[in-house]
Amino acid sequence: MAVTKEILALSVEIGDALLRNGAEVYRVEDTVMHILEAYEIESYDVYVLSNGIFASANEDKDDACSMIRHVPLGSTHLGRIAALNQLSREICSHECSLIDAWNRLEECKTIPYGKKLTRLFFCGLGCSCFSYLFGGKVLDALIAFFIGVVLQLLLDSLKVHKSSKFITNILGSAFVTLLALLLLFLGTPIHYDKVIIGDIMPLVPGIALTTSIRDFFNGDYLSGAIHMIDAVLTAFCIAVGVGTVITIFRFLLGGAFLA
Amino acid sequence: MIIQIVLSLLATLSFAVLFGAPKSELFFCGLGGAIGWVVYLIFLGLGSGITIPNLIATFALTVFSRMIASIRKNPVTVYLISGIFPLVPGAGIYYTSYYFIMNDTAQSSSYGMETIKVAGAIVLGIIFGFGLPQSWFNKLQRNR
Repeated sequence: MAVTKEILALSVEIGDALLRNGAEVYRVEDTVMHILEAYEIESYDVYVLSNGIFASANEDKDDACSMIRHVPLGSTHLGRIAALNQLSREICSHECSLIDAWNRLEECKTIPYGKKLTRLFFCGLGCSCFSYLFGGKVLDALIAFFIGVVLQLLLDSLKVHKSSKFITNILGSAFVTLLALLLLFLGTPIHYDKVIIGDIMPLVPGIALTTSIRDFFNGDYLSGAIHMIDAVLTAFCIAVGVGTVITIFRFLLGGAFLA
Repeated sequence: MIIQIVLSLLATLSFAVLFGAPKSELFFCGLGGAIGWVVYLIFLGLGSGITIPNLIATFALTVFSRMIASIRKNPVTVYLISGIFPLVPGAGIYYTSYYFIMNDTAQSSSYGMETIKVAGAIVLGIIFGFGLPQSWFNKLQRNR
């Protein structure tokens, strides 16, 4: 009768992977329930928070079992979410046995981010496009590209050292501001504000905000609040990073610079 | 205008790459961002302030994301998260902190309020977008 346990483990594990890669709570809850139903478990309960999963199955039978997962807020990987979604669709239409599902899950969990160079390039490209969209000139966009590339390098190395989110955001935005102001100081005729705005875009909490709203919309107020706090704090950290560097520059070079 | 469309598409697409979106969906992620941005620009041009354009643009983006998600059988999140970036008030955050540092309280609080309003507009846009019944979008799926 170990089957219940295995099914529950699979579905919770899939839910865990979804949540870890940034899916919203409702989707996770829905997926776990559907998988449990697909493997013909009739009595179950699932409760998902933005950083935890609680699930139990067949509580009134002999093979009752329950599981808890702690899922730290992580970085988003849309490809894995899409792949896991596909997997759960197949499970629900009974195209996938339990063992296959486990293997597929492992595959989904290890879908890599793009190659490092690709990521660097696209971070730069994104930053430069945004810099132009928000009113910068071609030169600003060009500068934003290079700063964006360096920013991504910094973010990658911070990730390796497992820095906290606060440190990452403060350092990232401070670093971007520092580079832009240094270039301005060296006499490059850039609109430094446009460059900085373009380059803080990778740090801006768009995902947290979106996820938070969707959680609120689906009635998961607690998870929504967690993501909302995350978004507000991230915005705050960016402001701190930018502000600190500007203050230092003003202190060193007098108020006329950057007026 | 064409430059704006192309750049917003590219910008969104680049961020979609950073978030590991599947290769086949990259173009649609970019398209979502471009649609949001263009709608925003159009309504901004009508002179209705900054809040309403953001609301309508987010609404358009959300509806587009749900449509494309139904058609291509992927989670809405994939398109929505990438597409929201051009609308997120990054500039607002920057100017708020900049004027705060500059001791310009009036400008700082006005940008601060604007940032909060834009965030609120995005919230409402997404909520309205998800308010439409799912059955409308399911039809797209069956037609395919």
